[in-house]
Amino acid sequence: MPFDTLFGASAISGTGMSAERYRMEVIANNIANANSTRSANGGPYRRQDVVFAELLGEATRTTTAPVLGGVQAVELVEDQSELPRVYSPGHPDADAEGFVRMPNVQLPLEMVSLLTAARAYEANLRAAQTFRQMSEQALNLLRS
Amino acid sequence: MDTQLSGVGALAQLMDAAALRHRVLAQNVANVNTPGYTRREVAFEADLAKALAAPNGSAAAVKPTVTVDETAPDRADGNNVDIDREMGALTKNALLYQAAAQIVASRVASLRAAITGR
Repeated sequence: MPFDTLFGASAISGTGMSAERYRMEVIANNIANANSTRSANGGPYRRQDVVFAELLGEATRTTTAPVLGGVQAVELVEDQSELPRVYSPGHPDADAEGFVRMPNVQLPLEMVSLLTAARAYEANLRAAQTFRQMSEQALNLLRS
Repeated sequence: MDTQLSGVGALAQLMDAAALRHRVLAQNVANVNTPGYTRREVAFEADLAKALAAPNGSAAAVKPTVTVDETAPDRADGNNVDIDREMGALTKNALLYQAAAQIVASRVASLRAAITGR
């Protein structure tokens, strides 16, 4: 086994953990902005979603020992679904009829996504811990 | 004199294969939420058993191979990673690795005892 892939397993689990952490950050941002009627690009806040993509080394699909790179959050997309309208005539962002466009963040959805991300993070962490145990076992061969 | 420790070569191969399998499983776990990802797995033990059973087959030539597993059922997002299955495989693989490591350690300890005579 080449030396640069010797500890590759912890790098793979590391990419998984950082990607899931990023997803948790985005979800937290969605929850925090569940009632923001103003955003950087004008209009109300739109819920955001991350897109994950598998990370592979060069010419992986052809060789027997592929260079596995883990996962990467490649894109941050805005949910273009319709914004709910809420009747609130006193609101400064209300239109002529007294309706305010609210963000399309749905709390139950965000909570479930948050849970999924947290569980996936734990799974990656467990994989990293298992790798550590295996490495310790191999290093013990030198000691006996 | 033959200083080749019997079976240690095959055990080292097994440990290499287990280390590769751990990386592949870690890749599957890392991509549990990647849409369209297809899980991979490592085939090694069956090939090794075949080589060892053959009358003059050489076990040293057996290499672990990574295959794409299309048989597992797809989820709605086109991903076919089952996290429970991956974690189970991860634990099993780690135990296999530890077993091989301990057998190597005991073989080396036997050899050392023979050398020192104690």
